Amino acid sequence: MKSNRLSFVWKQMNVQFHMRALSVFSFGLLVVQPAMFSGIGYLLARMAGRAMPDLFHVIIGGGIMGLWSSLVFTSFFDISNDRREGTLELIVGSPTSLGSVLAIRTLTNILTGTISLALSFLVVMLVFHYSPPISNLLPIVFSLGIMLFAFWCIGLFLAHFQVWSRLSGTFINYLELPIAILAAFMFPFEYLPHWIRWLSNMLPIRWAVTALGTSFQPVIEIQNLWLDWLFALGISCVYLVITWYLSSRVHDMIRVSGELHSV
Amino acid sequence: MQNEEIAVRAEHLHKIFYSVQGYWRQKRRPVVAVEDISFTIHEGEMFGMVGPNGAGKTTTVKMLSTLLIPTSGKASIFGFDVVSETGRIRPKIGFTFGGNRGLYGRLSGLDNLKYFAELYQLDPASIGKRIKELLEIVGLTGREADRVETYSTGMQQRLHLARAMLHDPQMLFLDEPTVGIDPLGAREIRHIIKELVNRGKTVLLTTHYMFEAEELCDHIAVVNHGRIVALDTPAALKARSSGDSVVVIQSRDGSQLIQQKMLSLSPIVSHSHVSGETITIQTKKPTRVLNALAPLLESSVITNIEVRNATLEDVYVQIVKENEI
Repeated sequence: MKSNRLSFVWKQMNVQFHMRALSVFSFGLLVVQPAMFSGIGYLLARMAGRAMPDLFHVIIGGGIMGLWSSLVFTSFFDISNDRREGTLELIVGSPTSLGSVLAIRTLTNILTGTISLALSFLVVMLVFHYSPPISNLLPIVFSLGIMLFAFWCIGLFLAHFQVWSRLSGTFINYLELPIAILAAFMFPFEYLPHWIRWLSNMLPIRWAVTALGTSFQPVIEIQNLWLDWLFALGISCVYLVITWYLSSRVHDMIRVSGELHSV
Repeated sequence: MQNEEIAVRAEHLHKIFYSVQGYWRQKRRPVVAVEDISFTIHEGEMFGMVGPNGAGKTTTVKMLSTLLIPTSGKASIFGFDVVSETGRIRPKIGFTFGGNRGLYGRLSGLDNLKYFAELYQLDPASIGKRIKELLEIVGLTGREADRVETYSTGMQQRLHLARAMLHDPQMLFLDEPTVGIDPLGAREIRHIIKELVNRGKTVLLTTHYMFEAEELCDHIAVVNHGRIVALDTPAALKARSSGDSVVVIQSRDGSQLIQQKMLSLSPIVSHSHVSGETITIQTKKPTRVLNALAPLLESSVITNIEVRNATLEDVYVQIVKENEI
């Protein structure tokens, strides 16, 4: 029984795309909802007397919201569907570790979520005629890569909770907006009150989004960018380590509680 | 095909779940699903578990197939512990759970099989050949490209079997594989299961249908309230009612009257039970029962009466009723 890892990853992603990622529901998450967020952000900026909104936070921030919502909701529906359809116990009962399946699914959801991000970039470039400085291209690409990695780490972490119990899965749904606010997707991080920033700082995506925002500035303070990258990567790795530890614990806990299925 | 090597050993398995009651002041109430179950299955054997709904059959299967951890007790599959050696057991076992659950409805049958073949880490070069072979065995060739949601229950169940056999496991756990399937479809599935045992597979089958257990199994365990209340070969179980006849009476509003009559005959009635308008009486002396009922035949209390030999199902009903708490 030798399997090609790449073929395994592709097959898993293929199922994910077929089953959920490319559904009408995902279209709503990836296109309609971010467009509404960005539209409201744009109108608020106009009402505040600004001729041009903060393109990164208002438009690209909307795209990041799409990416985040896709990650939270699609992951949640994946697992609750598997639970309801009885496929979760088949996955757990197979020789492939649950962690690997969740890792690939989370990756697929993030890749799907980048559609939203790409659309927001297109809007910024085509509607608002913004073109990022060529000199910033490398920091932008690097920040983007780190941001996707940070999203993957936190998505994987949350997916394990969703598997662990039906109740925690539902609870994670409610965290969609609070985390989006804490990670400052749609406004500068500095707007957050000081007393709550410690909580934001524990989220790798907050550092990654800040880094991406900095990369879009005409003049980059490379010192700050390095710091944001380091924190984003470091905290992401902490989440990965916790997830790795959680993985075997969750595997045992669901086998004790019998939460692998719901009838 | 059965040999002396032990495939499954279950020793004093217990499983307790907790159900939560109340909203504000929540209480956790223990629910005993399995209580002290022990048995062994030899390699190449077809072992049946029968019992009413909620008896603990599926929970037992899930513990043995590494999906649940027993609250206490031990179990091993081919010598590997079901709690700590899941990685050694899972490539050797396959399982199906009855009904329509356990498949991706929006995918085709072929895509479902490919997906699970990857989960079972099959060699990509041999996946196509293996799937073709299995589709042939379960009679789904030609329908593999259709979405599973368009399959009938019987076809889904056959796809379940193909999925469980993908990695050519040594042991199969089949939980009610013929539930909800028409008689013809169920017969086809039983034929496939028989073929599996002929190929040397060890099978643990749970079913509600006694004739199915009798037809397929080498040993049958009757489970009730989380315990094994009888375990033997089908022939030995049937012998418990050897010489017994069953008198089945259809009665309109007369069940109490008939039961009173039966009380007077209690030494010759081994077992009786009422289900709706049907009264079933197991006895070695059916003529005496019929004589006692003769006066009621003249009135219209009894609408139909039938005498037949006791079947394994009658034995099962007797065992389960005797063990009612």
